[in-house]
Amino acid sequence: MRATLRCFLLSGIVAIFFLPLTVLGQQQGGNCAACHQSLPDERLAQPAKLFSGDIHAIKGFGCVSCHGGDASDPEMSAMSPAKGYIGKPTGTKIVEVCGRCHSDANFMRQYNPALRVDQVTEYYTSVHGRRLKELGDPKVATCSSCHHTHAIKAPSDPRSSVHPLHVVETCGACHANAEYMKPYKIPTDQVDKYKKSVHWKMMTTKGDLSAPTCNDCHGNHGAAPPGISWVGNICGQCHAVNGELFSKSRHAKVFIQLGIPGCATCHDNHQILETSDNLLGTKEPAVCRNCHTGEDPGGKSAAAMRAMIDSLRQENDKANAILVRASHAGMEVSQSEFDLNEAQTALIKSRAAIHAFSVVTLKKEIDPGLKASAKAYAGGVKALDELNFRRRWVALSALIILALVVGLVLKIRQMEGGQKNRE
Amino acid sequence: MGERTLKELIDRRNFLNWFLGTTAGAFVLSILYPLSRYLIPPQVGESTARSVTLSVKPQEVKANTGQIFRFGSQPGILIDTPDGQLKAFTATCTHLGCIVQYRSDINQIWCACHNGHFDLNGKNVEGPPPKPLEEYAVNVRGDQIVVSKKG
Repeated sequence: MRATLRCFLLSGIVAIFFLPLTVLGQQQGGNCAACHQSLPDERLAQPAKLFSGDIHAIKGFGCVSCHGGDASDPEMSAMSPAKGYIGKPTGTKIVEVCGRCHSDANFMRQYNPALRVDQVTEYYTSVHGRRLKELGDPKVATCSSCHHTHAIKAPSDPRSSVHPLHVVETCGACHANAEYMKPYKIPTDQVDKYKKSVHWKMMTTKGDLSAPTCNDCHGNHGAAPPGISWVGNICGQCHAVNGELFSKSRHAKVFIQLGIPGCATCHDNHQILETSDNLLGTKEPAVCRNCHTGEDPGGKSAAAMRAMIDSLRQENDKANAILVRASHAGMEVSQSEFDLNEAQTALIKSRAAIHAFSVVTLKKEIDPGLKASAKAYAGGVKALDELNFRRRWVALSALIILALVVGLVLKIRQMEGGQKNRE
Repeated sequence: MGERTLKELIDRRNFLNWFLGTTAGAFVLSILYPLSRYLIPPQVGESTARSVTLSVKPQEVKANTGQIFRFGSQPGILIDTPDGQLKAFTATCTHLGCIVQYRSDINQIWCACHNGHFDLNGKNVEGPPPKPLEEYAVNVRGDQIVVSKKG
């Protein structure tokens, strides 16, 4: 107690002589931090220790900005309700405290003019916000649950709990905890499933931070499951061509009528695996089989589209193989390799065009691809023909040289024989 | 016997002379043919790995348009930007490798496969492409456009 008092007094003296009173407590904790950091109770000391690296501390805010009180007062009276001290905010109070600045466009403009100021409004549209406001549910996520309390970093900071690479762990802290989520009766395998997805793979192995994580599909502050009728809009944010083709397809209407989600019906929702041509058609593991048989018109279309895709892929592979052979043999085939790019582009476009679920639409992409592929293949054939011609020419030249040498040897002998006869 | 031997010797000499003449002629031909093939330029000029001279002339490039050219075995795109600069980039989309195109209506490079957008600095600005397009250096030398890799 005496040590604490001494600490308060010392801090007070320093504050009076070296810092303007108006900014006390606004400077990374002021008196509050000076004492709290040395408190033996980690529960009280840790916030002060962590806060020095918090973005708010870096921008010049102190403890009183959120907790109230009077940082210029070195006594315990600094933490008096009369001085606006609110202690540790909980529930809606947290949202209110953060929103006091973050919902004020004029205030936020001073620090980051591009930052949105509708987080609180959005939050109250989320399942979290609605449960907090309407049911007073103390377990739902508020600002500090995701952004941390005293070590808040900008989302772009790799140490931030809301950095793209950490969002899944942040959401998973509650959503993957079966015990914690028990009252809500919702699955808790989303994190496990997501970590098997192509999105997570792209993000972690290829370092593509634009790959989606939880908040990209569910919303940041307005987090909620996307409705069945508009899940395609979510995926369509990135997969725009596929989304647009799907929305105009016959499947879009039927799926809504059946009450099944667009993209997720074939691609799953969290465990979205890398796609392959095998997903199309009427044979295992094609997803079309979930609704169609090989006999109904839809199944027949699926089989026809698969055959078209296979045909272009095989032609491209064939052209690529011959060009690789020619290239490895030292032939110059860059023009044909260039032509093959066009065929590969057509194959990729065809794979997107499948989402129109129309043989006619697909054919428009496949036909130019087959043409480009045939051109590339012909270039490979020509290069190999040229290679064979060159080999034959080398063999023939070698024979000619050999024959010339033999002829010369015989001629020399003959001339030597004639000379001896004359002698 | 002696006359026959002499006749045989004459026939043999003639044959040997003919043989030598033919093989010597074929030998000269086997040298001249590849030489002539080497001297005749190929139908399409080869480009080195680092630079290419385009077949289009600077005055033929239309304002605010883009055109695909061959850079080795890969496609490149030459763009005459709205502010009159000639810029060139790899035309292979960084998403799945489709060939991109220039869209004069939005002044952006666009990939039709998955709606990827790049600005006129090659930066990926919209859609799934994870990386920018590699930019090439464009030099106008007289009536030739030479595109080369940077660095």
